[in-house]
Amino acid sequence: MSKAIDQWPAITKRATLDREQASPASEQVQRRVRAIVWHLAPWLLPAALFTLWSIGCARGWIAPQILPPPQQVFDTLYELAISGDLARNTLVSLQRVLVGFGVGTLAGFFIGAALGLSRTVEAYVLPAFNALVQIPVLGWLPFLLLLVGVGEPLKYILIAHAALVPVTLSTMQGVRNTPAALDEVARVFGYSRLQRVVYVVLPAAVPTLATGVRLAFTKAWLALVVVELVASSEGLGYLIVYGRQLFQLDLVMASVVIVGAIGFAINRALDALEARLRRGQPSAFRE
Amino acid sequence: MTTTTVSEGIRIRNVSKRYAQQDEANGTLLVLDDISLDIAQGEFVSVLGASGCGKSTLLRLVAGLDRDFRGNISVDGERVRDTSLERGIVFQDHRLFPWLTASQNILAALRNAPLSTQQKREAVAEHVALVGLEGFEHAYPHQLSGGMAQRVAIARGLVNRPRVLLLDEPFGALDALTRGRLQNELQRIWQHERITMILVTHDVDEAIYLGDRVVTMAPRPGRVKRIAHVGLPRPRERSDARFIRLREQILADFTDRPAPADHGTPGSGLRASVHEPRITEWRLAW
Amino acid sequence: MPSTRPLSLSRLFSPPKSSGPPPCSCDAPARPARQSALKQRLSAFNWRGLVLPLAAFALLWLVSALHLVKNGLLVSPVDVARTAVQQIQSGALLRALSASLAREASGFVIGTAGGLLLGAALGFSRIATRVIGPTFDTFKQISLFAWIPLISVWFGPGDMAKVVFLSLAALLPVAAHTCDGIHAVSPRYVEVARAFRYSRLQMARFVILPAALPSIFTGIYLALIYSWLATLGAEYLLVAGSGIGNTLIDGSEQFRMDLMLFGIIVVGITGWALNALARGVERRVLARRSGASRERAAA
Repeated sequence: MSKAIDQWPAITKRATLDREQASPASEQVQRRVRAIVWHLAPWLLPAALFTLWSIGCARGWIAPQILPPPQQVFDTLYELAISGDLARNTLVSLQRVLVGFGVGTLAGFFIGAALGLSRTVEAYVLPAFNALVQIPVLGWLPFLLLLVGVGEPLKYILIAHAALVPVTLSTMQGVRNTPAALDEVARVFGYSRLQRVVYVVLPAAVPTLATGVRLAFTKAWLALVVVELVASSEGLGYLIVYGRQLFQLDLVMASVVIVGAIGFAINRALDALEARLRRGQPSAFRE
Repeated sequence: MTTTTVSEGIRIRNVSKRYAQQDEANGTLLVLDDISLDIAQGEFVSVLGASGCGKSTLLRLVAGLDRDFRGNISVDGERVRDTSLERGIVFQDHRLFPWLTASQNILAALRNAPLSTQQKREAVAEHVALVGLEGFEHAYPHQLSGGMAQRVAIARGLVNRPRVLLLDEPFGALDALTRGRLQNELQRIWQHERITMILVTHDVDEAIYLGDRVVTMAPRPGRVKRIAHVGLPRPRERSDARFIRLREQILADFTDRPAPADHGTPGSGLRASVHEPRITEWRLAW
Repeated sequence: MPSTRPLSLSRLFSPPKSSGPPPCSCDAPARPARQSALKQRLSAFNWRGLVLPLAAFALLWLVSALHLVKNGLLVSPVDVARTAVQQIQSGALLRALSASLAREASGFVIGTAGGLLLGAALGFSRIATRVIGPTFDTFKQISLFAWIPLISVWFGPGDMAKVVFLSLAALLPVAAHTCDGIHAVSPRYVEVARAFRYSRLQMARFVILPAALPSIFTGIYLALIYSWLATLGAEYLLVAGSGIGNTLIDGSEQFRMDLMLFGIIVVGITGWALNALARGVERRVLARRSGASRERAAA
């Protein structure tokens, strides 16, 4: 789909008279060069920033405590990888997020389905649920700290809660919004209620659900980082805090890079999965 | 020094257009092939064709929305290079701005017109009345039915008093009843304003009903197949024998049926000139 | 059912009775003609929704009143109420909440302004999108809170760092949605404007921006939500200063469950209020243009 922005040249350039056909050779070369520049353009900014960073540190414009030179960050990354610290902490973080995310999503799915399928359940439970949802995950953190203390349960509960909310809401919405048209077809074929739920309602709800799960993961990842920053002795977030306290900014930056990279990779994978599940319907998810 | 005989009206000369295919390396799609057409000032021309024959593309070239073509298009002696307030256009989807009311939408067309604010307001009111939408000036597009929205689009196309109004299947998205009503409206407006109009459509009846001439286009590549003169007085009767005969002749262009012979005598009635397979020749599925 | 009664004058002058379904014993008895407005509101209210909260409330009160659990952590609702009153009266609530909201407001405003500029630049310029876009997208993916330690080193542990962080939290969604909204403007409207010979500036101001406005609003709405979340997070991680997040942390450190529950309720109400505010504004500005009104006139 062409964007509005593609129409801009047509407006701004004053209409030219019918030009002579430019010699094909020079036009081809021009097109080639432009294509190459276009392909490389995204790397321009990172390259420029990186250069600035290196020069700034080499020239001593910035104190190494504030911004360590790139070489140091790479070295730290390398050391982390070699010593196994990276693997260990990453695994801890991944385990937390996957378990929490899994539990939260599953629970959210069931609660959302119940809320969507039964008006009675909805009438009793939804108001309380809505009220609880108003309190962000972060708001629960001190409360849970007090209740369960610093430990694995704290992380799991928080991450599960972060995932549960979007999944519940989107499941409920997806189940409720089964197109009436499909419902009628099921009635005509005499589907029992259970058959209807399994063969019509749930498959029709999958696209909405996919978006909800996608959102849930982003929130779960966010919750993981926060909880590891605040109350943890292991994991990627802990590495960040540890580095910060020792003023080892290279460690901090290296950890931030890893957090970003992992988040990025999983996001990409989920995007692809969501696209498959939505089968062509455009996604409303946009962070 | 020689003066051209026809400097008014629209001249389309040897217009060709190619689209570059994205998948094939050097394959291009020829969409319009050497189209030439003269349209007189104040004439109503219907361009008729099936989907994909390039009629909408041709209209967009005349409008100036697309500048990539070979050949020559001029309106009243001036070459068409870009869009112009002299050439109004009505699209099939009304394309009213959803954040403006009906009269604000019509006013939006006048933003670059050399008129004072008062004159603009008068022009808007005048054209709202012209399309019969008094009372709905402050309605938003989502509050209007399809027919009404299209009427606003027509008013918007006319408010700049263009030399030519281009209509790209304007009634295609409407139901048959509304379509008939709006065809009448358009005819009335044309007779009132007498500006040149080019209507692109795939509806034979509409083409004959509204046009002074009907230009039939064949697809792949788009070219002019036949230009028929509709010599019938307005308002036209769709049940008129001459209307029906012309319709059959034009329709024959689109099917493999032989064209019905032109009997010339009015009121001679219809002849079944098409061979329908007999029922015994049909094969049922069960 | 065909009528077999002889034609009578009364039938000529009385309106024809519509023949409805045949009467049956399952018909509900006729209701009183009018129900007072209050009764209608009351019957429409979802009473069942109160069951769970009231039950939880009662359970909590019962357990604490009967001292069933020998745990200093379990507080009765009465304690929470008492703490609430105390906090409000001493002005502590006002101080904490206003500090948090002030910080959030400044971060939100700065972030939104910056986001609008960046989003517009990315939206209107193909080159900018190509050069800056990918970096921005990647940057956006990094969990926001991971930046706090770095920010605290670069900007100090106080309010400055918090506001910077909040601005960042607000800037990201606004820029993303503004840019997306501008890119998604349908070329059809642009063609219409071209037929009207709109200049570039006119196109931007009268076509592209109004068309992108819903998306921009979504971005601003998200910015409000995210900057509120960021406020809380920042207060946990950068403990210097005062704020409602600090109240929660204090409650946690002092093992005062009543203070914490109170804080949680305040946080919940504030979040809800911000949400309602944002949605109200959005509805006011965008209602006219969307399908909110169902009136359709005949052609």
